[in-house]
Amino acid sequence: MTNHWIDMVNTDVAMICGSNAAENHPIAARWLQKAKDNGTIILSCDPRYTRTTAFADYYCKMRSGTDIAFVGGIINYALQNDRIDREYVRHYTNATFVIRPEYDFNDGLFSGYNPDGDPPRYDSSKWGYELDESGVPRRDMTMEHPRCVFQLLKKHFARYDLETVCSVTGADPETYRKICDVYTSTWAPGRVGTWLYAMGTTQHTHGTQNIRTYVILQLLLGNVGKAGGGINALRGESNVQGSTDMALLFHILPGYLKTPAVGLETLQDYLNKYTPKSNDPLSANWWQNYPKYMVSLLKAFWGDHATAENDFCYSYLGKISGNLSYISLFEAMYAGKIKGLFCFGQNPAVAGPNANKERDALANLDWLVCVDLFESDTSVFWKRAGVDPGQIQTEVFLLPALASMEKEGSVVNSGRWAQWRYKAADGPGEALSDAAVITRLVLALKELYQQGGQFPDPIVNLSWDYNVDSHGEPDIHMVAAEYNGYYTSGPNRGRQVASFAKLAADGSTCSGNWLYCGSYIDYADGKGPELEDGPHITQVRGRKTINRMAKRFAEDPAGLPPGRCIGLNPDWSWCWPVNRRIIYNRASVDLHGNPWDPKRWVIRWNAEAGKWEGDVPDGGWPPMANPDGSENPKTKRPFIMRPEGVACLFAPSLADGPFPEHYEPLESPISNPFSSRQYNPVIKVWEPDKIGTPDEFPVVATTYRVCEHWQAGNMTRNTPWLVELVPDVFVEMSPILARELGGVRNGDWVIVTSKRGRIRARALVTNRFEPFFVGGRYVHQIGIPWHWGYNGLATGDSANLLTPHVGDANTMIPEYKAFLCRVEKEEVA
Amino acid sequence: MAVKALLIDTVRCTGCRGCQVACKQWNKRPAEKTEFFAGPGYQNPKDLSKDTWCLVTYNEVEIGGRFEWVFGKKQCMHCLVPACVSACPVAALERVETERSSAVIYHKHKCLGCRYCMLACPFLVPRFEFDSPNPYITKCTMCFDRQEQGELPACAKACPTGAITFGDRAELIAEAQRRIATNPSVYHHHIYGLEEAGGTCVLHISNVPFEQLGYFTDIPHRALATTANTAMQAIPLVMFGAAVVLGLSYQLRNRTRQGEPPRAHG
Repeated sequence: MTNHWIDMVNTDVAMICGSNAAENHPIAARWLQKAKDNGTIILSCDPRYTRTTAFADYYCKMRSGTDIAFVGGIINYALQNDRIDREYVRHYTNATFVIRPEYDFNDGLFSGYNPDGDPPRYDSSKWGYELDESGVPRRDMTMEHPRCVFQLLKKHFARYDLETVCSVTGADPETYRKICDVYTSTWAPGRVGTWLYAMGTTQHTHGTQNIRTYVILQLLLGNVGKAGGGINALRGESNVQGSTDMALLFHILPGYLKTPAVGLETLQDYLNKYTPKSNDPLSANWWQNYPKYMVSLLKAFWGDHATAENDFCYSYLGKISGNLSYISLFEAMYAGKIKGLFCFGQNPAVAGPNANKERDALANLDWLVCVDLFESDTSVFWKRAGVDPGQIQTEVFLLPALASMEKEGSVVNSGRWAQWRYKAADGPGEALSDAAVITRLVLALKELYQQGGQFPDPIVNLSWDYNVDSHGEPDIHMVAAEYNGYYTSGPNRGRQVASFAKLAADGSTCSGNWLYCGSYIDYADGKGPELEDGPHITQVRGRKTINRMAKRFAEDPAGLPPGRCIGLNPDWSWCWPVNRRIIYNRASVDLHGNPWDPKRWVIRWNAEAGKWEGDVPDGGWPPMANPDGSENPKTKRPFIMRPEGVACLFAPSLADGPFPEHYEPLESPISNPFSSRQYNPVIKVWEPDKIGTPDEFPVVATTYRVCEHWQAGNMTRNTPWLVELVPDVFVEMSPILARELGGVRNGDWVIVTSKRGRIRARALVTNRFEPFFVGGRYVHQIGIPWHWGYNGLATGDSANLLTPHVGDANTMIPEYKAFLCRVEKEEVA
Repeated sequence: MAVKALLIDTVRCTGCRGCQVACKQWNKRPAEKTEFFAGPGYQNPKDLSKDTWCLVTYNEVEIGGRFEWVFGKKQCMHCLVPACVSACPVAALERVETERSSAVIYHKHKCLGCRYCMLACPFLVPRFEFDSPNPYITKCTMCFDRQEQGELPACAKACPTGAITFGDRAELIAEAQRRIATNPSVYHHHIYGLEEAGGTCVLHISNVPFEQLGYFTDIPHRALATTANTAMQAIPLVMFGAAVVLGLSYQLRNRTRQGEPPRAHG
């Protein structure tokens, strides 16, 4: 999230689109309820009426997979009716940038398309900014130039008129117009809107572009950087935010650095590729500090072995040869290319798309290690119904894991708040923390590699200095202190680094994750209430330290100046970066540093003191304009993580285009009315002959969650009280579809089939689903909660037996949310 | 003496059932075997039972011509003058008010198992352990034990949105009235439990009439014990009156026979 949970209280309009927040993030409803008490309007846009809709003020239905059309229409509405924050757009976005003439968009394709790759790709150099003599993007401050981003944006979204949008999404035109009107009312500087989204947005072949539409709209309305605004992803698993921060994904290193690819032989090659450059003196281009973070990371990994002479052990890092994301891994596993798998708290047999294929893929492994709280469906894949264990050669290990309350450590919420938790109870038997399992593995590997092997150095020289106890548990405080980082040499040797601004590229600092620099500091660097005694005062490597993540000082509203009680709570735990609670907050003020919205201000410039007040400013540089209106050369533009310094309405760095464009999901009931490109032109399609078509599979299907169950159900389907509430897998459908299927009644068994598999489930017939009028005819949609599997106290068919093995063009996140199926009443014998 | 209450505001409820699970967890009641769902939406189990003391109901209704989903909460209403207490021959059920807590609680060791309380309760709350050889009555205790420790009842503690709040009955009534007055087009203008059965300590406000939530709405607005009370109080009078009438009539009959000689035997 750019903002955080409590901040929702500050909003005027909350759009919940691509999320069922009240269902799956119940605590979001706490803050939204408080907002409602203050008059906030809640909008729910969803394929069906959910528990969030019950909570909302307005509801608009939309067919799964049509978010770009839906939100594109709101963008068009804002542009056509001039409901935009012009000054914000002019100064804080790249609306004014002029694009080179090679950029074009025609019939669903951007210029630079090369259809021959697998997948096809774009040459994004065709989407370049026009640069002036100094190499700085040329800007037209009037935003009238035909090739300036603003005009290109208007032209692109002019095709997203209300009628077209409603005929694609199936939304009711009157309701849709109301939604457009209410949400775009936040364009005014004194009004703000927040956008909450989750898997309903991301789990599509155009998921990234779905988010881009929200970004564009929020920027046009001037909602980013303000209290009650922002782009707010409601993260799923706990602790997915922590996981992605620490880079449990193939394409990143901790702190969202990039995994080096084959071909980047030296550290300098790598840094040259990934350190962005900007010739604009007013752009902070914060990622120019990339080398400091990368070198500090390498020092954390290999300690004293990493020196300038050996490229800080850069050669020890594995280099990736292509897309090795989840789906790719299972495709490779299915082809017999992967020998072993560690599965920590994950249940691919239930959670993976095209689950039949993934279950079969597991049988090709030589060994599988599952680390989990309960025996999971994955850990017993080899003896599920319909397979002969005698034919499966996989050796399966099940290691008992500690639950989150049985170990100490931090969990990061969607608001980037890293909240330290103490250990509340002992775990059962021999259960270990994930950290201990990995530690024992690493120490065993180190010992084995001492005796030789292929390239032992990266393992043997790995720094693992965590005071490991006899069970293999590392001192988690030493781990936390290391990812904060400390000085490796010089007069401050051993001292914790107080902020990532102090990290260096010369090897004098180490930091396991530059974003967390500042979370675990030397006591001497502390200030304010954190100097008081409490559980946050700790000792690491003989030094008195402050674990800021363990701080629990709530804000006292009485002690705050007017307009400042916006729930920042700066001394409650610690958030990245540098405890800045609302990021891009320098866009919340005008060019003089005065808040656009004084009654809910995040930061403001105190001219006398010569510094910012309020939240940690997104860069301490002075405001962009001097009091007389002239440009202050000491300033920096507000979006410091972009080389442009401004936010991108036009985003040239994405795989599928600088502007979002509506494409149908891979499996769709209609042909794309926006262009002749049916689905995202640059996605990887592994099995093009296995795409479901509407003649065989006429019903749109989606998958989702219920409040009572958690992900692949390994914990909740083994908890009797939760099983009591929701014991069986079910399919929600409209009464009209139920009638068309030959009179299906609520509770009857139905069979749902897709190109990939079939499931048996109970029909839940409800008016919460209605058919969609799209492409001139009625199309039905059903929804299936995906929590069930064959193992556990409560069992049932997995919805993922139906979902396709295809993912987003940028992230490869599977398209769980929109595919085709056929529904039949089960005939009773 | 405290008169504590719960305020259930279904407008704030998202149907998450944190309350239902928290109640089971605190009171260590086992889960029931269920299949699919037992009501429109996700309702489970079907009704209150010996093991389910708090039940969220799912209701598909129409508000202003629009389809809406509204959630209710069924539990013991903790009446001010409970019918179950009045009916119990051995005072196994008791309304307690201490310095900081109040609730209608149950003393297992006194219970006969007669089930008069089940017949008496207008809300059909108390449930019986029919399949136990040593059966008892069970029902919500408003977490009296937690109240005595200065804690919230488990359901109120678990609720994320504040749909369930706990406090002094008078204050909660004022709050309920305030919410209705501030949002008159949203709320149904009635506080369920204000006067039903003579007033209860679980108060409900909602955006729909309460029968649409599956609540009983044919409850008289006076304590049910008063019906029995009136009858019971009349008994001595009736008995005394009957005795007087019968005694007098006997005397009257006897007097008319006084002049006659004693009858000879044979």
